Amino acid sequence: MRLPRQHLALAAGILGAVIVSLFSNSLDAYLLDVALGIGINIILAVSLNLVNGHTGQFSLGHAGFMSIGAYLSAACTVFIGPQLFGSAAPGALAQNLLFLGALLVGGLCAAFAGLLVGIPSLRLKGDYLALVTLGFGEIIRVIFQNIDKLGGALGFNGVPAYTTFGWTYTWVALTIFTVTCLVNSTYGRGFLATHDDEIASESIGLNTTRYKITAFTIGAFFAGVAGGLFAHLKLSIDPRGFDFMRSIEIVVMVILGGMGNTLGVILAAVLLTLLPEVLRPIAEYRMVLYSFLLIVLMIARPQGLLNFRLGKNRL
Amino acid sequence: MIFTADAPVTEFLQQLINGLSLGAIYALLALGYTMVYGVLRFINFAHADVFMIGSFAGYYLGQHVPAGTLWGGMSVLLAAMLICAVLGVAIERFAYRPLRGGPTLNVLITAIGVSLLLENGGQLVFGATPRTFPQIFPFTRFQFGHLIVSSNQLVVIAVAAFLIAALQLIIYRTRMGMAMRAVSLNPKAAQLVGVNINTVIAFTFALGSALAGAGGILYSMNYPSIDPLMGVMPGLKAFTAAILGGIGNIPGAALGGLILGGAETFIGGSQFSTYKDAIAFGILIVILLFRPSGLLGRRTIEKV
Amino acid sequence: MSAPLLQLDQATIRFGGLTAVNAVDLALAEGSLCGLIGPNGAGKTTVFNIITGVYAPTSGRITFAGHDLADHSVNAIAALGIARTFQNIRLFGRLSVFDNVRVACNLHRATNPFQALVRGCAFRADEAAAAKRTEELLEIFNLGRFRDAPAKSLPYGEQRRLEIVRALATQPRLLLLDEPAAGMNPSEKVELVRLIQQIHRQFNLTILLVEHSMRVVMGVCQTIAVLDYGVKIAEGTPDEIRRDPKVIEAYLGEDHGANSAHH
Repeated sequence: MRLPRQHLALAAGILGAVIVSLFSNSLDAYLLDVALGIGINIILAVSLNLVNGHTGQFSLGHAGFMSIGAYLSAACTVFIGPQLFGSAAPGALAQNLLFLGALLVGGLCAAFAGLLVGIPSLRLKGDYLALVTLGFGEIIRVIFQNIDKLGGALGFNGVPAYTTFGWTYTWVALTIFTVTCLVNSTYGRGFLATHDDEIASESIGLNTTRYKITAFTIGAFFAGVAGGLFAHLKLSIDPRGFDFMRSIEIVVMVILGGMGNTLGVILAAVLLTLLPEVLRPIAEYRMVLYSFLLIVLMIARPQGLLNFRLGKNRL
Repeated sequence: MIFTADAPVTEFLQQLINGLSLGAIYALLALGYTMVYGVLRFINFAHADVFMIGSFAGYYLGQHVPAGTLWGGMSVLLAAMLICAVLGVAIERFAYRPLRGGPTLNVLITAIGVSLLLENGGQLVFGATPRTFPQIFPFTRFQFGHLIVSSNQLVVIAVAAFLIAALQLIIYRTRMGMAMRAVSLNPKAAQLVGVNINTVIAFTFALGSALAGAGGILYSMNYPSIDPLMGVMPGLKAFTAAILGGIGNIPGAALGGLILGGAETFIGGSQFSTYKDAIAFGILIVILLFRPSGLLGRRTIEKV
Repeated sequence: MSAPLLQLDQATIRFGGLTAVNAVDLALAEGSLCGLIGPNGAGKTTVFNIITGVYAPTSGRITFAGHDLADHSVNAIAALGIARTFQNIRLFGRLSVFDNVRVACNLHRATNPFQALVRGCAFRADEAAAAKRTEELLEIFNLGRFRDAPAKSLPYGEQRRLEIVRALATQPRLLLLDEPAAGMNPSEKVELVRLIQQIHRQFNLTILLVEHSMRVVMGVCQTIAVLDYGVKIAEGTPDEIRRDPKVIEAYLGEDHGANSAHH
């Protein structure tokens, strides 16, 4: 029995990630750091694309879910890890299992938060939904800033460096796989239909609220995983780094890539991660250029810079 | 603001004045949000940054007038309002008008872009370190027993009240005001009876931005530390006030501003003061979830 | 006689001060083809919206196949077997013609969403079945050649047909057609009459039709109910309606007088 080609692609992706990871020690540390940053942003952008792009729900709170994943996965590795392994450093297998567990905890908690936020909010449309999600994102940030056990306003330090190329790009592959497989099924066409016309969708029996909540929750899950990977890359968590500006940066990737276009969004994530690095010499102009880009983009090419028609609504 | 914790009545009155003063500023800002929403059905995220520009305009202009004179204060106020009105019209003309008729999501994102541009451009031009706003109006403190009221607070309340009354007059007693109301109710019908939509929208932005500029000056008189990001929080709070009162509803915006200012002041004086910023978000979420039409707004039904 | 498939008992809906539908009684026998006509603003689309659950009636009862439809959501009512088209076509513009119909097959999907990730045999069989049914429906209605085109790129008449096909993909028992002839020229209307009769026969459906065009209504409906200002003023066979003085009076002064040669 042949495996479906999506599974083959996933397996190839994970294998590739692991292989590169084995050689990652010989890579330039800076380049590796950038590559991991790209991977994390791809996860964030593709997961947000499910919510904003495919299902058409304007969420401005994605960074909030990322922070939940970051804090809770770090709490697992920093607090629970030593309890499991004692003071000795864990072996490779144990460490990876712990990390996987931590990431899953972070992702699932973020998903749960997504459910809690989504259920009341997704009745609202357009601007109102954007505001409520923004509000929730900010409230999550304020809450974390007030939890002293997690470092409070000074941030959470001492997070172990568990993030590797292999882990990051495995999750990149999983995110792309999940979103693509879902959207390209008969079930998944319902996300797009919900985006296009909710009333018509309901009239053919689709539960649009459930679609929206599902997209939101899945998006939140992967944002949480991305947060966990981020925390174990930067080795510390600054709550201010997950404010609504961060959410906007991810939204810009989705818009630049063309809402609903997975390949475009991936390319946009790569571009927008590399851009600040490339623009380092003029770093203080970066944000100004950024905002300019946003305005010009919406006026001149709202369908996104990288929106190529791949035919038949493929991705 | 100095207050003493003597008689609870005095403290209450003190908080009331503080709340009224803050609420008046939120009301001015909220009016801008609500007017633009009424006419264009979208939330102008950049409004808060026009407020900031008003404040900085006042800062620079204030260097050129003698400190503490009435005419000096008034001229700075009016000049800042004018500058902001022009800025608002320009933003509408170049950033929003090209997108009119398209999905509101796009304009929303553009508005965020304009907001970021003003904030980051401001940091580039003005520098990120906070500056101290000059004392542009004559300053005295009035003391009634243990109650201390600064003249700045009184000026704020007086100017805000005047501007809100003037706005009411414009909206309900002038032709342009009538045109604004017509456009907010039914843009197509308004055009059919000869209303020039572009003029009305430009005028709406001019009015709203002028009020934001005034708000910036008044705010900085009470909170003299200004920086390019100063508009973010007041903007979000004023926006919550507009929604609280019923977005698109002008008396509602004023009411919402006063309520929010009062709530924030009283919470700020209580044991929960660290959460006072979260109050606005909390109110925002509660309203949007339970009564999105706000206190004075009306629910609309979608036609199928 | 067996119970009617759809029954409205004193259905009433008020919007503020306006009573859009006023104590309307309607009973549709299974397999019948009925028309709902009346001057503009009579409340016909509102009746559709009440039946499909878009609006909740202020008072009165709607019963379908023995189920009381009160408090049912729109998608729950669709799941019970009521499908509809819209006065202003509501296709999924960015989806292809094929996907517009395929997405309507979700109602009878046998696998759960998680299986879209696992992609086992059951999932693939389910997808194949949905694709097959979609292909068949598109072929029957001559839309097969547009299969991959975005739905909004279709000519107007084809878009209307696509909307009907999409409704049929949900395997309904009752089909509500809201002004399907709007914007059509006389020859297209003849085609539409033929199409409705074909659907009625081939899919064994009960059909309720709201229409302005007398040619279509008289040509296709077995019984007709007439609404005016939200009140049902007459009901009967096309011949009876054509001669009913109340109906003629309601239409008097409009171009849609039943005796005019307009259509």
